[in-house]
Amino acid sequence: MNMNVAVDRLATETAVSGPNADPIISIVNVSKSYVRGSLVALSDVSFDVGRGEFIVILGPSGAGKSTLLRCINRLAEPTQGKILLNGKEVCDNRRELRLARQQIGMVFQQFNLVSRLSVLTNVLTGRLSYRSTWRSFFYSFTREDRAMALECLEMVALGHKALQRADTLSGGEQQRVAIARALAQRPKVILADEPVASLDPKIARQVLNYLRDVSQRLGISVICNLHQIDFAREYAQRIVGLCQGKKIFDGPPSALDDEVLNKIYGLRLENAGD
Amino acid sequence: MTSLDVTIAQAVEREAAWRHRRIAIRLAIFALCILVLWLAAARIKMSLVNVVLGVPGMADVFVRMFPPDLSYLNRLIAPTIETVQIAVWGTLLAVIASTPLCLLAARNTTPHPVVYSATRILLNLLRSINELIYALLLVSAVGLGPYPGVLAIALHATGMLAKFVAEEIEHVGRGPVEALQAAGAGRMQIILMGILPQVLPAVVGYILYRFDVSIRSATVLGLVGAGGLGFSLITTMKMFKYHETAASILMIILLILVADWISGWLQKKVL
Repeated sequence: MNMNVAVDRLATETAVSGPNADPIISIVNVSKSYVRGSLVALSDVSFDVGRGEFIVILGPSGAGKSTLLRCINRLAEPTQGKILLNGKEVCDNRRELRLARQQIGMVFQQFNLVSRLSVLTNVLTGRLSYRSTWRSFFYSFTREDRAMALECLEMVALGHKALQRADTLSGGEQQRVAIARALAQRPKVILADEPVASLDPKIARQVLNYLRDVSQRLGISVICNLHQIDFAREYAQRIVGLCQGKKIFDGPPSALDDEVLNKIYGLRLENAGD
Repeated sequence: MTSLDVTIAQAVEREAAWRHRRIAIRLAIFALCILVLWLAAARIKMSLVNVVLGVPGMADVFVRMFPPDLSYLNRLIAPTIETVQIAVWGTLLAVIASTPLCLLAARNTTPHPVVYSATRILLNLLRSINELIYALLLVSAVGLGPYPGVLAIALHATGMLAKFVAEEIEHVGRGPVEALQAAGAGRMQIILMGILPQVLPAVVGYILYRFDVSIRSATVLGLVGAGGLGFSLITTMKMFKYHETAASILMIILLILVADWISGWLQKKVL
């Protein structure tokens, strides 16, 4: 299969324009607390995400990285603030939320594939938001959907495993399938929540390469949570540092010096002493 | 003696006291259980003497049944087939009825907590009544024959099946469901593509198990006039044709062994 043709066709649909001029996502004063405000996960976080930008959110465990990503596609309800997708607020209305989620792919730490379904069917679930419910009763997808799912699998070099059951694949392969599933949505943004935390360093690099690759080739913005500083430096165009739910850094990887790192991870080191 | 020694001595003391109390509580519970069992035995006149005294009577019945009238087996073929048909249709109706019910009775798929509670109560009611009692009621409602047997099995099995599957749905992996949610899939699509594949093996297991139980139940439903082998059993007994009764029992054992074997084989094939 000619991969470049496939990629070009996808690329024309998500036109790349200059980053930050017209943000794809704006996070505006988002706060989130659990248990009636006693546990603050996020406090007053704001930043814009440019089109095609690869942003890494860096911070120790429990800094609120995961909550932030989940607030963007409303898997978690922000307590305060709002999220704008393409200048339009991502809201609660079921139909509108579905259309917003359609444009936002998500990749998880635990891959979250449906293990008993085939790799191809897993990728096809990325197309569900475009298709009617009654069709799903028969596990039936259109010819175009199938062709597209196969293209997406080719992009992560797993076309040859399309008909295998998802749980027969290795961890790294499963995460690539998850990326293909996100791509099948034809998303404008991919949220990646610790996508490589369950993988060994070599496989982790491979998965991050695929993520960067699709971001650059298709002009998809990526917001990627990581806790590894070296990966963040290597892959990010821009880093947002989170600590205890607060944004305490926002800049290019070159500006991420020891002082900043101390601020992001500092409190944790102090705590480690007692 | 240092203060540390004192602390340790106190801790040892406390531990011993705690241990003794625990032993005392356990002994009390044990004694209570014995008392309850003994009272129950006295109430239902269960005693070794009665068991021994019953031996001649049991031997008498056995002798009168022996040898089973094997020629009667020929006339049992039709009732046996009817028994299987009752079990198959009873189970099938239960599967159909429990499909929507199990979704309403699982916390993660129910449309509303009130619906959840109502469905759970309904299922408990369905489950709490034995097939034989359903059959008894239905025979007087719709008349003698296999049809009330089918309904009796379906009612009881629906309560069981829907509850088990609902519990299975509640324990489904959260991750894949969340992934489909994030991809913008609808409620029904999540159930079909995310939940169903996860519960399918367990559901197939439950259905096969239920079929097995249904066959057993179907063999006795005839006792109250709801068709199948039980009907031959009760009629031959009432006419004191004990050799034919023995043949009926033999047929029931055979049927259950075969059903056991088939469902075991299917289970291995499917899972």
